Amino acid sequence: MPVSNSSRIVITGIGAVTPVGVGRDATWENLLAGRSGISEVESFDTARYNVHRGGEIKGFDPAPHLRRLDPSKVGRASQLAIAAAHEALDDAGFGAGTGRDPARCGVAMGTTSGEPREVERFDDRYLAGELAAVGAEFMDLYPCHVIAGHVASEIGFSGVNTMIPAACAAGNYAVAHAYDVLRAGRADVMLAGGADSFSRITYTGFYRLGAIAPERCQPFDKNRQGMMPGEGAAVLVLERAEDAEARGARIYAEVAGYGLSCDAHHMTAAHPEGDGAARAMLAALAHSGHRPDQISYVSAHGTGTPTNDKLETRAQYRVFGDAARRTPMSSIKSMIGHTMGAASAIESAVCALAVATDRIPPTTNFEEPDPECDLDCVPNAARRIVVRAAMNNAYAFGGNNASVIFQKYT
Amino acid sequence: MTSQRSGRPRVVVTGAGTISPLGDRPAAIHQALVAGADGLGEITLFPVDGLPTRRAGEIRFDPKAYLEGNIRPIDRTGQLAIIAAQLALAASGWSREKRAEHEVSLVLGTTFGSVRTIAEFDRRAVEAGPQYAKPFDFANSVINAAAGQTAIWHRLRGVNSTLAGSAAAGLQAIAYAVDLIRSGRADAVLAGGAEELCFESFYGYSRTGRLAADGDCAVPFDARRRGFRLGEGAALLVLEEAGAARRRGATVLAEIRGHAGAFDCSRGRDAGEAAAAIGRTLALALDDAGVDAAEVDAVSLAADGSPTGDRHEAAGVAACFGARAAELAVLAVKGQLGESLGAAGAFQTLALLETMHQGKVPGIAGLAELEDDFPLTRASAESHAADVRRGLVHALGLDGNTCALVLERIP
Repeated sequence: MPVSNSSRIVITGIGAVTPVGVGRDATWENLLAGRSGISEVESFDTARYNVHRGGEIKGFDPAPHLRRLDPSKVGRASQLAIAAAHEALDDAGFGAGTGRDPARCGVAMGTTSGEPREVERFDDRYLAGELAAVGAEFMDLYPCHVIAGHVASEIGFSGVNTMIPAACAAGNYAVAHAYDVLRAGRADVMLAGGADSFSRITYTGFYRLGAIAPERCQPFDKNRQGMMPGEGAAVLVLERAEDAEARGARIYAEVAGYGLSCDAHHMTAAHPEGDGAARAMLAALAHSGHRPDQISYVSAHGTGTPTNDKLETRAQYRVFGDAARRTPMSSIKSMIGHTMGAASAIESAVCALAVATDRIPPTTNFEEPDPECDLDCVPNAARRIVVRAAMNNAYAFGGNNASVIFQKYT
Repeated sequence: MTSQRSGRPRVVVTGAGTISPLGDRPAAIHQALVAGADGLGEITLFPVDGLPTRRAGEIRFDPKAYLEGNIRPIDRTGQLAIIAAQLALAASGWSREKRAEHEVSLVLGTTFGSVRTIAEFDRRAVEAGPQYAKPFDFANSVINAAAGQTAIWHRLRGVNSTLAGSAAAGLQAIAYAVDLIRSGRADAVLAGGAEELCFESFYGYSRTGRLAADGDCAVPFDARRRGFRLGEGAALLVLEEAGAARRRGATVLAEIRGHAGAFDCSRGRDAGEAAAAIGRTLALALDDAGVDAAEVDAVSLAADGSPTGDRHEAAGVAACFGARAAELAVLAVKGQLGESLGAAGAFQTLALLETMHQGKVPGIAGLAELEDDFPLTRASAESHAADVRRGLVHALGLDGNTCALVLERIP
């Protein structure tokens, strides 16, 4: 099938399940209203930890969201991903099918941990001397690639299927990959996103790094005390612009370009000069043909740890120069916590919505400015600005950096 | 050189590195495969009492024999990936000095990262208390840890990505790298896969009924087959944009002409859907390559002894090639290396690459009985000489992922 590799790629559907809402609209309205999705952890006992809060999605019932697969036979991250995928397809006008050959429809998903609750269940049985109770479900449910597989099986997409476990930048990697797949003509419709479930393993790890804030996540605040683990999923529908236009689809935003890089410096700490982060942003700017002063809004990685926010600010200055101070850069992690592999997928959804609606979400819990984080973090109140282009930055363990730029489709 | 789709960067293989149950030198591994060597043996890494099999493709290696530096923070998957990368960089002439001047990228396929690291981290927290969980282990608990550690060790500052697609992941990683080069995002990429053998995955698969028990046949495509045996290892190819490779004077071993991937929504439960997905993947890869099915000399297949998976794969090859399936030389190396999951597709590619250059197709060791109407009639236990110029690699995940790659020998 001849497809121009200069095709423009657009977003025509969005689905999201987050700590502030099951659904895109609830999530977006609550983010704009600055509401918090942080609460006491209930999915496991935190008595032996000195922190007890996180961004859990409370009361999520998978049953109404799974139309084909049995909810008891897919893990929680897959359930969240499927719910977001259905919402995105419905939103794109594909609720009753895409009208395309299913073999030309694919899925690209990102994650940090896959289905960690399945290995936690295995560990509990191991420690209780009850390994005999482990059945086939451990390997059927646990390996992370099943997330993209479950989404594909649920909706019947038999084309390209890619799982990218690029940790906390994985959602952006998935969007970037879907963009390339469509440009290369390997598919006509791509679902791209990320999913992670709240997990004892993840919580323990960040607790041991001393990274979890006791009460709330305060990105860029002078007194910020850390990040807040969370969970969620977001899925975008991506198509070539000519296909979307031909079927009269509503277009949220165009994917203008992306950049990936690797720090090759440290597993869990960012490069002190923001080297990899800067190279990813520069690559995304070059790819999209934008100058920094043409970026209207930056969705920050913004975890709320003392180090991340400082280094991220430094990288922003390095790439944007004087424009850094004029470019609003907020972190929705202040409201939903760090949803791991879902984070940059949810933030991609936010960027697309910002481009479509000219509204940008705030960084909440902001009280005292930090001279080392002196950019405009959109403190505490959403704003109306013309969002011509939005840059979504994500930085991950392993030094994986990914920046994606979204712009108005005109 | 053969005609190409116009205007598209060409992707060539300029070297490879591996560590496998049959050694760490591609030519020697190929010789061992040709000689019918068995890379499987008794597991020593963990106790297997009471489990259906004691056998796997375990690699006994001393990481210090390969790596100079502090390997303490690196787990087994990471070590395997770092070793394969070191050997690949050396084989292709990417010295540390050259890497300082030029960004090299890395795309790694894996199924689990290290589920052993993840589970041990978790169990320590549960048993001793969360304050005793080890931060080092947490850093390695992310599934992209091996790619991150390899990048740090070898200073690979380009694109760094990890793909998970069960036993298709290693080939998916190579395909992803091809597109990075075609789209101009990278011009030198290490691509392949890594997987470690560990108790958690071994026990997990032993509970699925998919592992061959001791005494059971685990020979790919053999009519008596009852399941697969696990393996481990890592293999990485060095892929480069053809012009860049030529300008730096690199030795070119092969060109990757094209690739494709698809998904079987039945995840192996429906024979028709599974074979259709595989057949479509192969046909799409040939189409992407601009290569006619009649030009393909050999296939390097994913068959691992699984009763259904092997049958689906053979049916998929027949669906793509029709009667010509009977003329294809058939490689199926997992019987001798084990099912190494995320590394498998890279091992299959490496086996085909060596076959092209050595002119010998390794037999499928132990293959004695073919099923009635089995379409790949040249599948045989006997190794044989053959001029393999173009070949297809097909990788099949245990949960529905398929991927195919068209390789052409150079010169």
